[in-house]
Amino acid sequence: MFLGVEKVRSYLGIDDIMAEQVNDRTVFSLAEVTRSIQKTLAERYTSTFWVKAEMNKLNLYPQSGHCYPDLVEKADGKIVAEIRSTIWKDDYQRINENFLNILHEPLKNGINILFCARVSFSPLHGLSLSILEIDPSYSLGELEKEKQATLDRIRQEGIYNSNKSLTLPLLPKRIAIISVQTSKGFSDFRKVIDENGWGYRFFYMLFPSLLQGEHAVESILGQLARIKKVLHHFDAVAIIRGGGGDVGLTCYNNYELTREIAMYPIPVITGIGHSTNETVAEMVAFRNAITPTELADFLIQKFHNFSVPLRNAQESVSQRFHARLKDEKLGMLNTVRYFKSVTVSSLGTSRNNLMHELKALERQTGYFMSRNRQLQNSVNAALQKNVKQQFGDLNREIEGIGQFFRKDVTAILYHKNWVIRGDASLIQKAAQRLLLTQRQCIVTEKANLIIQSARFISGSAVSLGTLNRQVELMDPANVLKRGYSITLVNGKVIKSVNDVEEGAILKTVVADGVLTSITSSFIKSNQP
Amino acid sequence: MKDNPSYTEAFEELREIVSEIEAGDISVDDLAEKVKRAALLIKICKDKLSATEGDVNKILKELESGDSQGE
Repeated sequence: MFLGVEKVRSYLGIDDIMAEQVNDRTVFSLAEVTRSIQKTLAERYTSTFWVKAEMNKLNLYPQSGHCYPDLVEKADGKIVAEIRSTIWKDDYQRINENFLNILHEPLKNGINILFCARVSFSPLHGLSLSILEIDPSYSLGELEKEKQATLDRIRQEGIYNSNKSLTLPLLPKRIAIISVQTSKGFSDFRKVIDENGWGYRFFYMLFPSLLQGEHAVESILGQLARIKKVLHHFDAVAIIRGGGGDVGLTCYNNYELTREIAMYPIPVITGIGHSTNETVAEMVAFRNAITPTELADFLIQKFHNFSVPLRNAQESVSQRFHARLKDEKLGMLNTVRYFKSVTVSSLGTSRNNLMHELKALERQTGYFMSRNRQLQNSVNAALQKNVKQQFGDLNREIEGIGQFFRKDVTAILYHKNWVIRGDASLIQKAAQRLLLTQRQCIVTEKANLIIQSARFISGSAVSLGTLNRQVELMDPANVLKRGYSITLVNGKVIKSVNDVEEGAILKTVVADGVLTSITSSFIKSNQP
Repeated sequence: MKDNPSYTEAFEELREIVSEIEAGDISVDDLAEKVKRAALLIKICKDKLSATEGDVNKILKELESGDSQGE
């Protein structure tokens, strides 16, 4: 039961051990024992070896720069092995740099690592593994596996397209932004949105969150939960990150975060700003833009998609409206022209008739007047003849009886003269009466003529007015719309079958165009 | 035809009117009415593009009340 000093020495393998004998017991100091363990382990584990394990916690001490990672191995979720380890400052810096280059992730908690280590025992700190090297490509593969596992799970649950199948409003104006106030990505986004030159107005509100590293998942999930409470204020959620390089993006392959984005009730759009492979969160998002600027452009484009058709509609409506009015005006003009030509021809016919009547009237008047003049002339001639004859008779009488009644010549002459003068004035008066009667007759005829002409002209005018009104009432455009048509041959309106020869080309004007046809036969109706 | 359509409805109705006008199916009498309606719809849509919406203070208040209810 009690070992002798020599035995203990050989057991512990320590030669310089300074054991004491206390009441028959060999007693060692703690330092002696730990030194002994240290020596034994050093002798047993002389070389380095490769180990795979999960690095539960990195435990970086920023001041010293050394790390003391907790290493575990799990089986079915339970820890079956655990050991502390150390990475000295210089090793840590080199390893971390390798990780950033290859994984775009720093060395961090919760990743699987393949490392080269030696067993180390310190009397003060006990047993640990001293890590000299970590293989980044192994961890990369592990991260890829995790990403694939998330993706498979999301697909299996059938929610991969859930967010994508939501409908973004025509104008996504109200955006809840998950970002960092000071991030370059957020400022890039704001620059495009706030300084757009088209006057598009957006509303956005920042919900600040960590966007990379191990706490990003819970931080983003927390803000997504907050936004859910005021969801009716927003059209979409935008996750915006930028200026952080390609580091620390594995959080976007996290299952919980990815699931929340896929199942989110309004569209989630992402602009995470990196050049590595798409993360699962970006894959399931409604829309993923490579950069925050591109994300902002996507929103602006939505506004363009609304604004451009609007502008085109405005132009098109205005153009079509004016073109249509022009067409209508032209149609009206043609109708008026047609109406005018019909009216003019009708007026022309009436005028011709009138002229004809006037000429007949003039001729009759002229004839009447000339007859009157002849009558007058013949009366005058008869009168002159009569007077001459009377004078002739008188002279002869005077010559015959002059010599017998020379003394009474003067008296007889005087008497005869008086008789002649009386006869002459009687004849003259009768002639004047006759002329007066004839003149009155002419005046009356003239007046009648004027009244009749006026009556005829005004009658014509009245019937023309009626005709005008009828034509106005029967607006050809309306008549045409009622199914009537105008048929023309050689540009003239057809009124009778007699106007058309067989084989003549007819133009039929209907409400909305012109038909051209060839006459093959015609039947004259019995009615005139 | 609503008197106060949303911008989305206005946009849809406008597109219908434009295609009708472009097809030339509208009589001259209706055309003036349609053009008037189109002008109104265009105004509704244009106003929406430049309208200010959202009130941070209101949202914050709702968030706070939501938080206190949750706690």
